[in-house]
Amino acid sequence: MAEIYLNDIAHGRSGDKGDTSNVCVYARKPEYYKIIEREVTPEKLKAYFGDMVKGEITRYDVPSLQGFNFVMKHALGGGATMSLRLDSLGKSMGSAVMRMKIHVEDGEI
Amino acid sequence: MKKIAIGGGQGFWGDSPDAAIHMIRHADIQYMACDYLAELTLSIMAKQQLKNPEKGFAPDFQTRLLKEAGKEAWEKKIRILTNAGGMNIKGCVDGIKNWAEAEGMKGYKIGYVLGDNIKDKIPQLLKDGWTFPNFDYDGNFNDIVDKIYNCNVYLGHEGLEACLEQGADVVIAGRAADSALFLAPLKHEFGWAADDWDNLARGIMAGHLLECGGQGAGGNYMYDWRSVPRMDELGFPIAELTDDTFDITKAPDCGGIICEQSVKEQFLYEVHDPANYITPDVNVDISNATLTQIGDNRVRVGGVKGKPRPDTLKLCVGYHKGWKTVSMLSFAWPDAYEKAQYCAEIIMKKMQRRGMKADDIHISYIGLNSLHLGVADMSEEALKNLNECVLRIAVFSEDKAECAKIIPEISPLQLNGPPGASFFGGRSHVQEVMALWPTTVPRDVVQVESHILEI
Repeated sequence: MAEIYLNDIAHGRSGDKGDTSNVCVYARKPEYYKIIEREVTPEKLKAYFGDMVKGEITRYDVPSLQGFNFVMKHALGGGATMSLRLDSLGKSMGSAVMRMKIHVEDGEI
Repeated sequence: MKKIAIGGGQGFWGDSPDAAIHMIRHADIQYMACDYLAELTLSIMAKQQLKNPEKGFAPDFQTRLLKEAGKEAWEKKIRILTNAGGMNIKGCVDGIKNWAEAEGMKGYKIGYVLGDNIKDKIPQLLKDGWTFPNFDYDGNFNDIVDKIYNCNVYLGHEGLEACLEQGADVVIAGRAADSALFLAPLKHEFGWAADDWDNLARGIMAGHLLECGGQGAGGNYMYDWRSVPRMDELGFPIAELTDDTFDITKAPDCGGIICEQSVKEQFLYEVHDPANYITPDVNVDISNATLTQIGDNRVRVGGVKGKPRPDTLKLCVGYHKGWKTVSMLSFAWPDAYEKAQYCAEIIMKKMQRRGMKADDIHISYIGLNSLHLGVADMSEEALKNLNECVLRIAVFSEDKAECAKIIPEISPLQLNGPPGASFFGGRSHVQEVMALWPTTVPRDVVQVESHILEI
């Protein structure tokens, strides 16, 4: 078993609507989809972000695109208009998700 | 078989016009749509208009895009739709009229759509018992009603399409939904029925993939940004539709990339539930969508489905929330982070002594954790030998004077704090904070009008 960054097997993009951040996460190869499905659960992501994401996290699975959409509420310190954060639109929330460490079995990647 | 090509010319107010100009000159398109409005843009425009009634729209559409290539677009019969009208649609139309007259474009038809601004209708709606429930937060609409800057409904394609039916060469709207700017010409050309949900959904997704400009063609591309050719001449995406097919491509001889991964990254961007992507025109289902590379810089989109549109329309209310100020100080090696932290402590102690009443304070360190915040690497190894670090303190208060208290405390730390503090950019200012109240209104509240002004 090895610990890797999600970034090693996935790519995606973050967007904002008010204080909600969405991060879509796609497998870099089709066979990585199952790993992401197993490793990046809403619960794990919520624990990973801690205080940074104050609301619930929902995961929507889109297997036809080998991807997932994570919708994170109250995730932007108030959102574009209100946030005191440097990155008020959450442009770097995508790379923040990619920075999460996940476990892969030997031979899985 | 009839094929219609539409280009995305602008991703936001302030975007570069280069790709749109290139597209008009070199791409085989019949339509272009330009999105200028993000969530907060209308509030900013409303505020500008309060100070100067001639402002309140995105003049760049005319001054940077039409001035450069608008006449050529007209000559090539490329019709352009935009929401650059913002809060002052007539002001935007006047600017275009003056330009077209000066260019001698006799017969040029400027269409415009009114009806998204419903601020005047709020008192009656409240009287009728509509409560304007907030999607994101609890709260009573009555508490903000006196602080409102703007109330704009996200309009669908109808008013835009009506302008095209009357022969408009350019169509100006205010808060038309970004994707409706693209659906309108496609529905107009293919004659889709108002309840042909699958086709309407295809039109909306064409808009969705184009409305952010370069981001649909290799900009902000995480998969492999190094592989994007000629980013300095980034092309914007083009959608080509027939009755059966839906492709994303780009203009010849420009930079950028159209491949499965680049289209994917835009596909779910700012979508929430992929099975229910709700727009004023149709509830889009992309939960089984497919993307297939079928040629050089050409991706085919499949599996897009639609369901009936919602009964209500999204209403974006912008209102005054308070004030904020952002202050920064920079530090160099050695111990850059430790010095910056110590300065933050000093400032906070001083503010406590001055009795500053802040409603929120956010401290971060640029170069370390101002973007990734709690998930940034703050290990000893990451902090060791840091070349430099910038302290950033942001303060929010409902009281402007409280917010301003921190401003004079920053620069003195160059002489009165740990060594090497450097103050840059001049004293900070107190900025107004506007907030959004995302809600809905019944459809029948909105009366859309379409007009034509011929040169």
